[in-house]
Amino acid sequence: MEILNVTGLHASYSSSGPEILKGIDFAVEDDDFFAIIGPSGAGKSTLIRCINRLVEPSKGTILFDGREVTRLPRRELRRLRRDIGVIFQEFNLIDRMSVMDNVLSGRLGYIGNFRTLFRAFPRSDIDQGLRLLDRVGLIDHVDKRADELSGGQRQRVGIARALMQNPKMLLLDEPTSALDPKISREIMGLVKQMATELNVPCLCNIHDVQLATEFCNKIIGLQDGYMMFNGPTEEMDEAKLNEIYAMEVL
Amino acid sequence: MNDEATAIRMTSDIILERRRKSRNVRLCVYLALTLLVAWSVQVTIIDDTDWERMGSLANVLEGANRFIGIDFSLFKDLVEPTIETFMIACLGTLLGVIICIPAAWFGAMNITPFKPITYPLARMMMTISRSIHEIVWALFFVAVVGLGALPGIFAIAVRSVGFIAKMSAEAIEDIDPGPVEAIRSVGGNNLQVLIYAILPQILPQVLGVIIFEWEINIRRSAILGLVGAGGLGLVFFRQMNTFNYHGVMTVIIAILGLILLGEAFSHWVRRKII
Ligand SMILES: Nc1ncnc2c1ncn2[C@@H]1O[C@H](COP(=O)(O)OP(=O)(O)O)[C@@H](O)[C@H]1O
Ligand SMILES: [Mg+2]
Repeated sequence: MEILNVTGLHASYSSSGPEILKGIDFAVEDDDFFAIIGPSGAGKSTLIRCINRLVEPSKGTILFDGREVTRLPRRELRRLRRDIGVIFQEFNLIDRMSVMDNVLSGRLGYIGNFRTLFRAFPRSDIDQGLRLLDRVGLIDHVDKRADELSGGQRQRVGIARALMQNPKMLLLDEPTSALDPKISREIMGLVKQMATELNVPCLCNIHDVQLATEFCNKIIGLQDGYMMFNGPTEEMDEAKLNEIYAMEVL
Repeated sequence: MNDEATAIRMTSDIILERRRKSRNVRLCVYLALTLLVAWSVQVTIIDDTDWERMGSLANVLEGANRFIGIDFSLFKDLVEPTIETFMIACLGTLLGVIICIPAAWFGAMNITPFKPITYPLARMMMTISRSIHEIVWALFFVAVVGLGALPGIFAIAVRSVGFIAKMSAEAIEDIDPGPVEAIRSVGGNNLQVLIYAILPQILPQVLGVIIFEWEINIRRSAILGLVGAGGLGLVFFRQMNTFNYHGVMTVIIAILGLILLGEAFSHWVRRKII
């Protein structure tokens, strides 16, 4: 089944500024692990951010789980965002809060303002948080402050926070670029494993092509806002890679 | 004489010449400054002081001497005003902090709701708050709500808003936007973004500023009574009017004690936070 369908997507950061995405089309099935590759500045992060409208697309349609994302009013947009977990390159944790509070913040879309003020999450959320922290290997760090953890551990908190949303899809923006190669592989493995187990499709920006091909089944190649490749991992070859990563080729 | 020595001699000559010139400039500046000070002293002190009334040095010393001593009978009348001064400072700071919430929100470039209007509005309010003296604010509020502690509280609050809001707005502008994106991404609303992504990042800094302002507000509230806004200042004014100089000294000591207490507390708390 198709969970996400993007057609003719254009985006720019200001009406007068340059166009960053110049017509992107792709579809994500509910068992896909999609990798978006391309040189830095190609527009990978912009594309990811358009899906949950952290960046407003200027043209095109994004159909997610039967909803037209680009036209949702604010309230509906917040509901949509609950269904899409995001894992960031810089983790984006709340440094001064505990690991548990960070993981629970994944549930904020489901609780009201009053509960927010008192951080009064229901028992079921806390149970789920503990289960997830156990799964990502942080059960001994529940009460630690997020800024006391190592990079790899911080990203594990990021993964738990995203999964706390019970998402229907995961967006990952270079989740391992701030980590060293060994930890990167561990983190990608963990994401893949959890995603498979929970049946969550992934759309993952990744700079490292080697790492991408190890974990994904489909690849999108971006270059300067254009989609240069869209297909199964097996169809990606040296020549196509060279084309994507050679900025001079026009 | 070899070339090298000549070269050195010439450089030294140039340097000496340059120094003589700059010495002349310096001399002129010193002279101008001296004249300026002399003129100020002449106009503001020599012409403006009632020398007849001051009399001899002995008279001056006697005048100062009158203040040495403590009026113990005043003690029981000081308890309430001291507490009042303290409360004016606390409540004024608290009210100021409450007013600061919208002011900092409007005045922070990155979260202000409608930039062309709300941002300049907030910045203007901050400037007005800070550029008007607390005594003037107190006079204004005494005229509006009458005598007592209430105008004092208002004056302190309004006077504090500028600094606290400015520092808070700047702290908000400096936050890492990452956590804001993260909370938006989980479907959080504006309040949740504020509580989870913004407040934790600015809290230590803002608390430090509030405590600092509170300490200054104790000093401010101690003198507000001079214009009828309650507290120790009012007692001070009364002692002065009845020529009870020992009473004046007693009030000064009470004010000093209160300020020292505030300073110690503020120092302790800020060390805890930072
Ligand atoms: N917030 C922003 N404002 C303006 N331009 C931006 C912003 N973020 C990214 N860009 C520009 O958009 C282009 C694509 O950036 P990005 O999507 O981050 O690429 P990638 O993730 O592939 O490295 C770059 O040229 C970058 O300068
Ligand atoms: Mg990027």
